[in-house]
Amino acid sequence: MSHIIALAGNPNCGKTTLFNELTGSKQHVGNWPGVTVDKKEGIYRNNKNITILDLPGTYSLSPYSAEEIIARDYIVKEKPDAVINIVDGTSIERNLYLTLQIAETRIPMVVAVNMMDEVESRGDRIDCSKLSQELGVPVIPIVARSGKGIHELMEAAITVAKDHKVGKKLPVYDDQIITAMEDISEYLKDKQMEDREWKALKLIEGDEIITESLTNEKNAVEEIIKKLQESEGEDLEAKIADLRYHYIGKLVKKAVKKAKLGHVETKSDKLDKILTNRFLALPIFAIVMYILFACTFSENFLFIDGLPSPGVWLAGLVEDGWAALSAALENFLVSAGASDWIQSLVISGIMDGIGAVAGFLPLVLVLFLLLSFLEDSGYMARIAFVMDRIFRRFGLSGRSFIPLLMGFGCSVPALMASRTLENDKDRKITMMITPFMSCGAKLPIYAMFAVTLFVNQNKTWIVFSIYMLGLVVAVISALILNKFLFKDESSNFIMELPQYRIPTLKSVMIHAWEKIKGFAIKAGTIIFASTVLIWFLSNFNFTGMVDMEESFLAYIGNAIKFIFAPLGFADWRASVGVVTGWIAKENIVATFGQLFAGIDDETMIEAISAGEQALPQITSVFNGVTAYAYMAFNLLCMPCFAAVGAIRREMGSMKWTLRAVAFQMITAYIVALLINVIGNLIF
Amino acid sequence: MALTMVAPGETRVFREYRGKEETKRHLQNLGLVKGGKVTVVGENHSGIILQIKDTKIAINYGIASLIMVD
Repeated sequence: MSHIIALAGNPNCGKTTLFNELTGSKQHVGNWPGVTVDKKEGIYRNNKNITILDLPGTYSLSPYSAEEIIARDYIVKEKPDAVINIVDGTSIERNLYLTLQIAETRIPMVVAVNMMDEVESRGDRIDCSKLSQELGVPVIPIVARSGKGIHELMEAAITVAKDHKVGKKLPVYDDQIITAMEDISEYLKDKQMEDREWKALKLIEGDEIITESLTNEKNAVEEIIKKLQESEGEDLEAKIADLRYHYIGKLVKKAVKKAKLGHVETKSDKLDKILTNRFLALPIFAIVMYILFACTFSENFLFIDGLPSPGVWLAGLVEDGWAALSAALENFLVSAGASDWIQSLVISGIMDGIGAVAGFLPLVLVLFLLLSFLEDSGYMARIAFVMDRIFRRFGLSGRSFIPLLMGFGCSVPALMASRTLENDKDRKITMMITPFMSCGAKLPIYAMFAVTLFVNQNKTWIVFSIYMLGLVVAVISALILNKFLFKDESSNFIMELPQYRIPTLKSVMIHAWEKIKGFAIKAGTIIFASTVLIWFLSNFNFTGMVDMEESFLAYIGNAIKFIFAPLGFADWRASVGVVTGWIAKENIVATFGQLFAGIDDETMIEAISAGEQALPQITSVFNGVTAYAYMAFNLLCMPCFAAVGAIRREMGSMKWTLRAVAFQMITAYIVALLINVIGNLIF
Repeated sequence: MALTMVAPGETRVFREYRGKEETKRHLQNLGLVKGGKVTVVGENHSGIILQIKDTKIAINYGIASLIMVD
């Protein structure tokens, strides 16, 4: 018989490590509906009838954050056959708070006390059989990182799942609360509700979702709660939390023996004295970020001229390999006598389409190896704290720094890095503004315009100012989105700082692999389909295969160019450039070369892209002001399809992807319009 | 007094939280309950780091100023 076993626990309790240990590579990562919270499922590797589901990490089952609602709805409504509650042995008191709440749902449960190696190395002792006796459920000591105790844990979990064995009722609450629970439960009985006692307790706690679900019995229930409130004389929710912690305090006294009394300074505490130090925190953070960026994107790694970083080197390998494969395929097609359009479809359509996806994989791989290292080591939580004050002003989280910084390299891995943000709102806003950073592919566009249209001493300033423009627009957008779209005014920062730990190679690898797989599958489809579509539009018209000047794309460019009139570039070639830029922004240079000057020589295009060669023909359409508006428009408008694919993958929702793209298009239009209008007034 | 007045290294007893319900709840879930001990273990430009039971929690100054201790 098949069973579903859910993993529940606090953030940082080692849940993901355990999940990876249990399922190996047989896992599926998706999103919970409507939120950008991971939904991970996998098959237990020793028994394929057991499905393991990883619930989001939460501190409680109160319904106030997306993660809490997901975890509790799953436990209460979907009813897994058993829940494994993972408890971090090094902070057992806080972790048992969730354990009590899961026990209250009366779901079959096993408690896994994790990090037992660290507990022992501190000289502390946790008596699991004592805990088990008190809680009435199996309690198994484990070390998730090494796999120790996992077999016993699964045996116990499968047994409680088969027998539907729930724990005993725990003597947590006082008589008044228990009586009130029973009274409320009586009223709920009439409706034949499930989990009446749990719901009664939640009603006493003032749970908004369950209170709203009441109908006829609402008045009677509120009456009971009011009376209880009067006799307890304090906030009932606080009272219940207090009673839970009181019970846990007694439990811990019985089952946990600490080597030293009071707080002992651990290695983590010593590290924190340096890494979160008032003066050292920001410089250290800057160095870590530099290393992160340099390893992924640098062309002059370790300050050595021309030495590529691991990311760039791998990307080069993949690109060269792909180009060689394409060339071989082209030769084969030519020698086999394939028609022009088949050659073009296979080489420029399909191979380039897949190549566009494949070319990003090395960057995603390297960045995510490093990011999961930061995440698993515990430093990521410190980043959020250290950067909080600066980013809070713009309505962003301290962790938004990483995606935004990576955005200067490439939006694709940058967007995927937004997953490290804790909060759904912060994540969405960060994803919407990350493409406003000038990525590497946008530089050739700036180079072309700067060299052609601006006098020497202004070139650097023009390029620099457009980089700054992206940043400024991103900050303003974050403020506007916060205010109008998300209506958020919270200025709170509360975050647990987990123990520093050396990450295991295995968990870092699994994390990076998941990212790559997710990108290749989810984003890959969008990228491939759009690349082939644009290939078709730019190579065909109703008569068949033609040059770009006569293609469908040229028709489209002519039809839509009026839209750009207020921005100063109502030209069909400029419109076509915007569209080909969606495949990859640097394509704009090749498109302009071909359409304005009939250049299809690759070395010429490369020289223009590098700013070594001007393209004087574009002065027939652009002047300084309109060129600047055009650069700004392409900087801010919809990013390349690869980035849109990454947004789609990370948002987990087409609706939000379209919203993000619409927001970017509107922003681009407004900013370019302002530049054109104001620029023409000044110059 | 407010937690912002407590010097690093000192341990105090938590009295009440004078801010929004939602935040109070979150702090409760993290182990900050009436009568419980709170130790300030660090501070920087962003806020302060607390030791509550066996866990380290970072909070900004806005929240720290609303946490009342004895």
